[in-house]
Amino acid sequence: MDIVVNVAEGFMGLFDTGAQTFIGWVSSIVPKVLLLLVFMNALIALIGQERINKFARVCSGNVILAYGVLPFISAFMLGNPMALSMGKFLPERMKPSYYAASTYHCHTNSGMFPHINVGEIFIYLGIADGISTLGLSTTPLALRYMLVGLVMNFFAGWVTDFTTKMVMKQQNIELKNTL
Amino acid sequence: MAEYRAIKIERGSGGFGGPLTVKPEAGKDKLVFITGGGAEPEIVGKIVELTGCTAVNGFKTSVPDEETFLVVIDCGGTLRCGIYPQKRIPTINIMPVGKSGPLAKFITEDIYVSAVGLNQISPADDAAAAASPVKAATPAKEAAPAKAEAVKEAEAKEEAPKREFKYSADKKVSQTLAENSKNSIIQKIGMGAGKVVNTLYQAARDAIQSMITTILPFMAFVAMLIGIIQGSGFGDWFAKMLVPLAGNGIGLIVLGFICSIPVLSALLGPGAVIAQVIGTMIGVEIGKGNIAPSLALPALFAINTQCACDFIPVGLGLAEAEPETVEVGVPSVLYSRFLIGVPRVLVAWVASIGLYPGL
Repeated sequence: MDIVVNVAEGFMGLFDTGAQTFIGWVSSIVPKVLLLLVFMNALIALIGQERINKFARVCSGNVILAYGVLPFISAFMLGNPMALSMGKFLPERMKPSYYAASTYHCHTNSGMFPHINVGEIFIYLGIADGISTLGLSTTPLALRYMLVGLVMNFFAGWVTDFTTKMVMKQQNIELKNTL
Repeated sequence: MAEYRAIKIERGSGGFGGPLTVKPEAGKDKLVFITGGGAEPEIVGKIVELTGCTAVNGFKTSVPDEETFLVVIDCGGTLRCGIYPQKRIPTINIMPVGKSGPLAKFITEDIYVSAVGLNQISPADDAAAAASPVKAATPAKEAAPAKAEAVKEAEAKEEAPKREFKYSADKKVSQTLAENSKNSIIQKIGMGAGKVVNTLYQAARDAIQSMITTILPFMAFVAMLIGIIQGSGFGDWFAKMLVPLAGNGIGLIVLGFICSIPVLSALLGPGAVIAQVIGTMIGVEIGKGNIAPSLALPALFAINTQCACDFIPVGLGLAEAEPETVEVGVPSVLYSRFLIGVPRVLVAWVASIGLYPGL
């Protein structure tokens, strides 16, 4: 009989730990992210999608704008995965590169701006939790995460320009380089 | 009577539904606006110009549903936005409100369009476009006083025939009072403020929605995993295996390299689940002091070199890419992730110098 009780207690114990973790997140993360979400949603609605779109068209002329600035701003304004849709203003050949850059932007900026990628925030939060446990501020980590991201995400996009060229040759497909 | 023309109404920024194409017909030519306590929104004038219909203030006059071809409302998402869609009357909402309120299920894209401003309304054909700017010159002006009101003639206070009683059961007192002054500055401020408040309200509603549909389920799922992993002791065992890899820069580079291997990267991608679980475990180890906190930065990059490799076709689809682009894009991004993965971890490692000094 004792064995059954022990097994049952052990089984429930698994979920106790999980429940405590869950309650911890709900009371700490949920309110902050929720209010940020409200703010961002309202900001986007007030600025207007059209003005964001206009800006995107300007960006298609230059690789730094296209893989550095545009994905950053799209990620900030639209979040994951809607930020990926801004690639539609770029020529076909640039779309894979924009994808490569913007998907990274949806992560590296999420430390500073958790609203960007609420669904996958735990990549950052999981690690940042350890920093908080040590009693340190997570802001320096979030800031460096974003800054290193800014540089390396641009290269992630840029390097895709070359791999795209390579794959085009492999598959004998020519993608348009103009809008 | 005036000849009727069709118009096309698209959703504005932040809006929902549409585009609707509507055309008044004889006997079904009333545009009913039920807005801001009886004040007339500017799009009403434009719709009247373009279609040749008759505008009626719904707060002052009730119009039988069968005579109504279009309704303009400014509902913030409580009730009114669903009433007319439920009756299958085409509905324009000035507010950026989507499916909302108790009648949300009737709000569909073929009958409802929201966040509509002047720019979202256009003639449905060229002939109408040419005729539209001629303002107030239609014969309907004499025929219907309500029409005159719609083109902003200040004196058009005599209303369409049915108005008898001052207060009515389906209006608030404030709305009834507001009817007596038309488009005053106070009303304009009121409607402007209403729009801002409604935008915020809708933003909050969207935020709660994504909280419920994406964030909380994921939290619950990860929390359960963590509970099982930690409660069963598996976490300690797995982390011990992981610590040699995550505990120093070289190990993180190896980890980043493994995650970025093409095809394997696509398998590790879905929902970023693996990255999130590894991230959480590394976090626990950092908290225990087994891993230096400054390594958190390269770790963030190392566990996520496979980022979104599973999602490439969908993501390119969001960017309206051609099928050939997807064909090329999938291997291209897989290769580029492989090329850039390790350098990212390296750069992050270098950049972590001086982060959390003394630990």
